[in-house]
Amino acid sequence: MEEYKIDLTVNGEKISTTAKAEESLLKFLRRNGFTEVKCGCEKGECGTCTVILNEKAVKSCITLALQANHKEVWTVKGMEKFELGRKLQKSFVNYGAIQCGFCTPGMIITAKNYLDQNPIPNREEIKKAISGNLCRCTGYKKIVDAIYAVAVENQRSK
Amino acid sequence: MSLFKYISPKTKDEVLEILQKEKSNACIVAGCSNVLPNIRDKEIKAKVLIDITNIEQLKGIYQKEDKIFLGPLTTINELIYSDITSKEYKVLTQAAQEFADPLVRNTATIGGNLVTASPAADIAIPLLTLDALIKIESTRDKREVKLKDFFVGPGETILQDDEMIVGIEFEQSDVNKNGYFIKIGQRKAMAISIATVAVNLEVRQNKINQIRIAAGSVAPTPVRLTGAESFLKNKEINDKLVEEAIDRVREEVKPISDIRASEEYRRYISGLLFKRAFKKLADSSIHQFTN
Ligand SMILES: Cc1cc2nc3c(=O)[nH]c(=O)nc-3n(C[C@H](O)[C@H](O)[C@H](O)COP(=O)(O)OP(=O)(O)OC[C@H]3O[C@@H](n4cnc5c(N)ncnc54)[C@H](O)[C@@H]3O)c2cc1C
Ligand code: FES
Ligand code: FES
Repeated sequence: MEEYKIDLTVNGEKISTTAKAEESLLKFLRRNGFTEVKCGCEKGECGTCTVILNEKAVKSCITLALQANHKEVWTVKGMEKFELGRKLQKSFVNYGAIQCGFCTPGMIITAKNYLDQNPIPNREEIKKAISGNLCRCTGYKKIVDAIYAVAVENQRSK
Repeated sequence: MSLFKYISPKTKDEVLEILQKEKSNACIVAGCSNVLPNIRDKEIKAKVLIDITNIEQLKGIYQKEDKIFLGPLTTINELIYSDITSKEYKVLTQAAQEFADPLVRNTATIGGNLVTASPAADIAIPLLTLDALIKIESTRDKREVKLKDFFVGPGETILQDDEMIVGIEFEQSDVNKNGYFIKIGQRKAMAISIATVAVNLEVRQNKINQIRIAAGSVAPTPVRLTGAESFLKNKEINDKLVEEAIDRVREEVKPISDIRASEEYRRYISGLLFKRAFKKLADSSIHQFTN
């Protein structure tokens, strides 16, 4: 069967191409050069493939590419266009919240999307917010520290 | 080359037409959290994917006269953030908060959760104690079925291959506003339930006027525990009654042993979860009454 036409924007840039019916958004993005979206489990469990789809953080391995038709997608590379994204990137580096780095693209996306909705969370709320993103290296503490530092900064600049 | 055909209709009627033509050759796609893993595992025989996520008629949570209506495309996160469910029907919100993780909750839908018919379908449990009605349509028929009669076996429901869920409804009654849900999993997030229990209760003058009890992961399908319910109905609440009811719950569930827990543990924990939920509700109802 044929491929289907798809128009979407990724990180603010318009893309017009085709996708297979059953293709996941994850495979589609990687095939089109957005390899910053990482493939861990392809089962919806690890969160490395997290992207923002129309303002919501979703796992792209359990979303059809064609479900992003006419929608807006943001990957970690687009995060530097936002002040909050830049703050999170810096804070992850400051706190050593990156070891192998495989979970980082998903973590930053989840954290950015969460802080957009709830700019001043406490540590417990942050832990819940990142509960769909697995990290095999850091033990999470440094990741929570990094996100919390941005929350504290948000509070100060309020 | 695509392995499947993809259609994204704008209306419910278009979906019904396609289902009528394609029958079991078509597979509805909502949040896709079950469908995509199943496609990958080659478990889907259908050749046509009908993506229903662009159909506005199937979305939203509203009050309709004395009922609450939930579109089948309501996502798990919408149950948490909607004013209607989060203020008055906490049993639903509590179940939603224990579901997967905040990312999966952004896309997974309640219609998909019910049709999956997993014994561990978390949203089925509070919908059972709310005595929800499932609205089903095909081009030949419209019917309404109580959720307790919807499940047939693991992964199996009464839905025919030309039918879809178009809505879920429950009453805005006192008993529905007083509910409590508890889930036991292997960890705090991203856990498939080992056991879940929901209770909805209405107490009048210290007597149980209405009670509904449901449990998940302790039988081939999500179940109502009607035996324990009828045992409790119209009885005065005291500690002895609760202890007896716990035994009834443990007798009525039909769990199995699997990699997550043993049959014995599931039986034991079902009784305990029932007790915790019941006490929570009874304490607050009696307190309200004496005030
Ligand atoms: C990582 C992960 C964690 C999960 N955690 C949980 C959990 O904690 N608790 C839990 O209960 N489940 C969990 N699930 C299972 C799944 O996410 C849920 O069952 C979810 O609600 C399915 O909804 P969906 O919209 O994604 O369904 P889809 O995958 O789109 O569809 C599922 C099935 O329902 C059918 N369908 C969908 N809508 C309709 C309709 N309106 N009419 C007729 N048929 C329809 C589809 O054809 C398909 O057969 C998890 C899944 C993953 C991948
Ligand atoms: S690759 Fe998507 S959740 Fe693991
Ligand atoms: S830094 Fe290695 S998985 Fe998180």
